[in-house]
Amino acid sequence: MKLTDIWGDYVPSLLAGMVTNFEISIIALLLGLVVGIPFAALRFYGGRAGAAFAAIVVSLMRAAPTFVVMFFLLNVVRDVSLFGIKLTMSGVMTVAVSLVPYSAAYTADSGVEALRQWHRGSPLGALLFLPNITRAFFVIVMASGAAAAIGVPEGISVMVREAALLPTLGDRLVVFAIGIVLFGVPLQIGLALMRWLQRELGRRLLAA
Amino acid sequence: MSLRVPCRLLLAFAALLATLAAARAETPDEALEAVLKEAREHCAQPTDRLERALCGKTLRIGVRDYYPLFGTRENGVHVGYEPDIARAIARRLGVEIEFVRVNAATRIPMLGEDRIDLVLATMGHTTQRDGQLRFIRPHYYQSETVVVGPKALWISDWNDLATRTICVTVGNVSNAQMVSHNTRLMLFDEAGVLPDRLKDETCTLAAQDDSFFAYYFTDPAFANRFEPKFGFAQVPWGMGVAKTGSDKLARALDLLSQIFHRDGTFLKIALENRIRTVFLEDQQRIWQRPECNTAEGSTNKNCVLPALNLELKPTPFAASVSATEDWFEKRLGIDVTLPMLKTAPAFSLFLNGVANSLILIVGALTATFAFAIAFGFSLGSDFRPLRWLAWFVTMTLQSSPIVLTLVIAAAFAHALLPYSAGVALGASILALGLTNGSNAGQAVSEAVISLHHEGGEKGMPLFVHALGRSAVSIVAFLINAAKGTPAASFIGAPELLGALTDVSSFSSGRATTYCLVLVFYTIVVMIVVWACGWLRAWLEGRQAPA
Repeated sequence: MKLTDIWGDYVPSLLAGMVTNFEISIIALLLGLVVGIPFAALRFYGGRAGAAFAAIVVSLMRAAPTFVVMFFLLNVVRDVSLFGIKLTMSGVMTVAVSLVPYSAAYTADSGVEALRQWHRGSPLGALLFLPNITRAFFVIVMASGAAAAIGVPEGISVMVREAALLPTLGDRLVVFAIGIVLFGVPLQIGLALMRWLQRELGRRLLAA
Repeated sequence: MSLRVPCRLLLAFAALLATLAAARAETPDEALEAVLKEAREHCAQPTDRLERALCGKTLRIGVRDYYPLFGTRENGVHVGYEPDIARAIARRLGVEIEFVRVNAATRIPMLGEDRIDLVLATMGHTTQRDGQLRFIRPHYYQSETVVVGPKALWISDWNDLATRTICVTVGNVSNAQMVSHNTRLMLFDEAGVLPDRLKDETCTLAAQDDSFFAYYFTDPAFANRFEPKFGFAQVPWGMGVAKTGSDKLARALDLLSQIFHRDGTFLKIALENRIRTVFLEDQQRIWQRPECNTAEGSTNKNCVLPALNLELKPTPFAASVSATEDWFEKRLGIDVTLPMLKTAPAFSLFLNGVANSLILIVGALTATFAFAIAFGFSLGSDFRPLRWLAWFVTMTLQSSPIVLTLVIAAAFAHALLPYSAGVALGASILALGLTNGSNAGQAVSEAVISLHHEGGEKGMPLFVHALGRSAVSIVAFLINAAKGTPAASFIGAPELLGALTDVSSFSSGRATTYCLVLVFYTIVVMIVVWACGWLRAWLEGRQAPA
């Protein structure tokens, strides 16, 4: 594999594909917040029945494997009606929605803890919700690679396509290694940022 | 006495001539003339559709109007191989044509409803369809499923396709054959999107009728990038007439098809329409052979092709499954379709899928726990090279999306071993175990370090207590490993999701199928969560008392 092919063709395609991964993750996280926060509120303020109901729904969402949910949405819920208007989900949207059960369950769990902290009179403790959501975002970015299985042109599908054209394992490993570096750099920066945020909040929490 | 000898000779010669005449088989041309002559004599009271067409001077022919090269409509004019055959038939019968637009769903019902006399619309001759209409023999074309891919990609046969993903359309008759060769299928509803998905590189390979791709290969830009790799699942195409009231029409068309093959009429029309002619050249040679070029050639098994038999062996309980589906439909109004229980190949895929999923989950859990211990020990080790190596591997695995880790594991596995279900499952277990085990191991090592700082025990007792302290993280990654197992289908592991995707590629009932997969995996993960609760309690019990 030539260096010019890597820098001239492969890396730009991979970066363009990774934009789709981030796009999917942002949609999934926002939808997860929209779905998860009401369940967190229901678990906290909903009384015994409300909390039990929310706990059951959240445990079901937590147990649903993203990969299977994605194929379920692709094959069973392809068309959605909203206020009588028929909407067909694109590939990107299908993957994003398939990540919502995880995102929403995580939001609900972190949200309950944040509400608990708030009511104990610790707004800084409640603010730990933010680094938790940052962690969820990076988990979602990594999980969004599942989109390759349904033909969405994101980062992993670019890597798999490029590797399929190469004859030797060595060449393919170069392609994969570049992919790991490009996925790994934002992930590690993000996790470092999250750890810093957690430390800062923890320090202020102790000081308070 | 002198006249007796010449008379006997004359009589013997006459008898010989009569015997030879009787022995010489009637040609298809003569037989056709006889059939047409007889039909024209029944104009007063036509009973057969041939009589009606000849007397009314019109033959209603159902053709496709958007099947490039074979049947399209341009400025109101039907063009392509099939409309041109229709015109050749009409000319020979001396009638006008009334073209009627049909598609794959309407072409057979319209014959039954007497809205058309003849269907000439890219129809494959299968044994199932033999029960619905009368096919004309010999067949006028033969298509095959062709695998198309980039020229740079070396693919020559099935061995090169194992574990590769092929884009196909749902319900394609050749999907079952592809599945049996360990390929992965990406399903699309319409064939029309396949060339675009090849062009935008969503699909590396696509499989569809060669007749479908023929049009796209006339585009130089497409032909420069892609090529047919190989073909399989040949299907003869037949014209069809209604099973009743069309005996004479069918007979006339049988004979006419023989003549068209023998004289190269089909071949000439195919060349004019720029479609593949290998089959037609072969057929011309067959129908020029004396044994086939007779009035009865179309019933000679040495001359005609058999219909394609696509019927899958039913399971012993297929009838009960159908009855259950009907019950759901009638009593509850729910459309439940269970294709995985109705045919033997689908049922076999289903059972193997369930068994493989359970093996995969147990394997992934075991591997995750084992790697958690190994990484925990290595990351918390005092021996620096081991610690650094474990740290580097952990960072790499954390930076790789799980699907990519699976792909890399599969690449290594296939470089070392030939493809098999066991190899794919093994690679998946390794990838899932490494990914989740390294993360859990990091938590264990952090617990080791914290216990170390707190002082107290050292060696094995400290490590066991660290396992207890990191029980929450270990359990979280065990659950994550179980949830990640369906992703193994991406590298060809024959677990339930992959198996049922294969089943739904050649049968109906996708909605029920994927609901079943979702319920199966959700229940399995919930059982794993429940079992992990016990493990967590046990691990936490290993912690040293404060």
